[in-house]
Amino acid sequence: MNSTVVSYFSQSNEFQNVTNWLTQILGFNASSLVAFIIFAVFSLIIVGAMATIGGLGTYAERKISADLQARIGPNRVGPFGILQFLADGVKMILKEDIVTTNADRFTFNLAPVLCLVGVFATLAVVPYSSGFMLADLNVGIFYLVGMASLVGVGVFLGGYASNSKWSMLGGMRGASQIISYEIPATLSIIAIVLLAGGLSMKTLIDGQGGAPQDWYIFHNPFAFMGFFVYFISALAETNRAPFDLPEAESELVSGYHTEYTGMKFGLFALAEYIEVFVVCGVAVALFLGGYKVPFDLGSGQILVEKLGLDGMLAQNIGQFLELGSFFTKTLLLYYVVIWVRWTLPRLRVDQLMTLCWKYLTPIALVNLIGCAVWMYAFNGKSIFALIFHAAGSAGGH
Amino acid sequence: MFANTLFLASACLTIGGAIAVVYSKNLMHACIYLLASLFGVAGLYTCIGADFLAATQLVVYAGGVVILMLFAIMLTGGTSNKVNRFGLEKIPAMGNKKTFFIASFAAVVSAMIIVKILIPVLKQNPSSALSPNEPTVERLGTLLATDHILAFEISSVLLLGALVGAAVISRPRKEIHD
Amino acid sequence: MSTLNLDVYMPIVILIALALLVAGGSLFLGSLIRPQHPNKLKETAYECGEEPVGSAWANFNVRFYVVALIFIIFDVESALMFPVAAVFKKFNEIGLGGTLLMSILTFVSVLVAGIVYCWKKGDLDWVKSFNQTNQPTIAKKD
Repeated sequence: MNSTVVSYFSQSNEFQNVTNWLTQILGFNASSLVAFIIFAVFSLIIVGAMATIGGLGTYAERKISADLQARIGPNRVGPFGILQFLADGVKMILKEDIVTTNADRFTFNLAPVLCLVGVFATLAVVPYSSGFMLADLNVGIFYLVGMASLVGVGVFLGGYASNSKWSMLGGMRGASQIISYEIPATLSIIAIVLLAGGLSMKTLIDGQGGAPQDWYIFHNPFAFMGFFVYFISALAETNRAPFDLPEAESELVSGYHTEYTGMKFGLFALAEYIEVFVVCGVAVALFLGGYKVPFDLGSGQILVEKLGLDGMLAQNIGQFLELGSFFTKTLLLYYVVIWVRWTLPRLRVDQLMTLCWKYLTPIALVNLIGCAVWMYAFNGKSIFALIFHAAGSAGGH
Repeated sequence: MFANTLFLASACLTIGGAIAVVYSKNLMHACIYLLASLFGVAGLYTCIGADFLAATQLVVYAGGVVILMLFAIMLTGGTSNKVNRFGLEKIPAMGNKKTFFIASFAAVVSAMIIVKILIPVLKQNPSSALSPNEPTVERLGTLLATDHILAFEISSVLLLGALVGAAVISRPRKEIHD
Repeated sequence: MSTLNLDVYMPIVILIALALLVAGGSLFLGSLIRPQHPNKLKETAYECGEEPVGSAWANFNVRFYVVALIFIIFDVESALMFPVAAVFKKFNEIGLGGTLLMSILTFVSVLVAGIVYCWKKGDLDWVKSFNQTNQPTIAKKD
């Protein structure tokens, strides 16, 4: 129960009072019940926020692509067309639901749900801030890798169940692409685990600092390369361009969701856009300092000392700064993902597999070994620490 | 309270999924039920505090083996036709009364044997090995790096063998000149 | 069941339930208000306007299966690497980093040997080229 949203609240006196009060009334230890209620409320908040981010993601995608192509993009619904995603949602709910005659009905209905379950379950370990994390599991990042692979099963089943040639090809391609690119992504993650010495998100972020020179991406050259390997693999795992072969519209019509209409297609799209957010969040947590704020503002200690604020208030302000830090970096990466999509042409299937098995996987293995050797050779110091140390000793003499 | 709920849900998922795998006549559906069953097993691991094992279950079985099975099914042409090109049924007739009777009899006998073995084990202070939320990852890692270093290294050789084997099996065969 | 505090897993269960709820709820809500006019043409699979020919569930190329096999091997490898990687820092701090580094190097290099083998033999190629020595030689029937 360390460093989750419940343990954050349990620092306050009210929490203890409410728990004691409930315990007295109900006649059993109510701390679990209170934890459940808090978790439920915050899960709802997260899911709501993520659905909004997913919706705004579709809007941002269209608006940014319009900007890149010197068009205007959606501009009718709401100011600057920002409510377009709500209109899209209403449209999807209202659309007729078509299941093709030869489709495998059970699997057809299950596939989008499976995608959504896989993505939502990963949201539990994404570190939004030091106090606002749903579950800080001891196996955090490994759990996330496992849950994310459920999306591959969903994509494949979606393609299979439609019983359409385009869907089937898209589903096969999608599943093989997702599993292939999981290898370099996982190997890059292991390299960072080596540096941090733990699998929980908290450990991974605590090894880093707020300022860029304390991030793992600048820890050593291998981690720097590892970031790009991870990011490319993450793009491929979420079926984003230039790796959107499963839904390549020029060859496969719409890939694995060709036969999906209405809200079932909407669930696929929602899962995809939330997954992009999740992988960007993981990239931020692993390589870009996570929720850390420069000058240690996140803990609120400085606010207490300099401004004389109340301890809990300062801590709350620190939490909001951390949330801001995390979301700023993640959304910047989100922007890069969209930018890449509208800049690079799509790969061919054989190029895709060559990139994965002959470039990214060997590079990721080299990074892994490199990080281990660096840790051993320099006793875990980052390259900046070494430079500062060398400069300091040189200046001293 | 929550622990019991989690245990019951996982157990139901495991058993229900397993039964559905056996009863399903569609290979693809059986594979999906198997996924549910494997998820349930991951939940059961979680219940006894083996969090790393649960995550491994998710990564290796739910993510890897199930996809491999789905691909293997597609390799044989999916479930579109139940009869192969020789006119034989792909799924053999295993669901008749005789097989069910024999299977349930065998299940009862083996369950008795397992209970006979388990009871003395369960009597010996079951909770001594468990402590609240101890990070199993570090314990596992320490053991793998110290006591079981040989097993760790040998497993890489095993994986190498599997990799080479997989590559060789899938390679197109050379036809022999005579 | 009381020695363990499993409350930390609550959000996962809640989130999975929420995912089912969101999916089921939106589909159910839609079923109340959306139109439902099925007809035969609408429910055929899309094949660029032509009538669909046969089933899509055909035999697939074996290379998808190979990719999945290699993936599983690396999956198991990463499952073994994660705990060892997690304790590497601690071992390094107490001065045992060298031995652990050696064991990690051995472990990885054995796998690298496997990858190099597959690479050399052309198993990692998606499109098998035709001018390699290990290609199947087709027997000439005289």
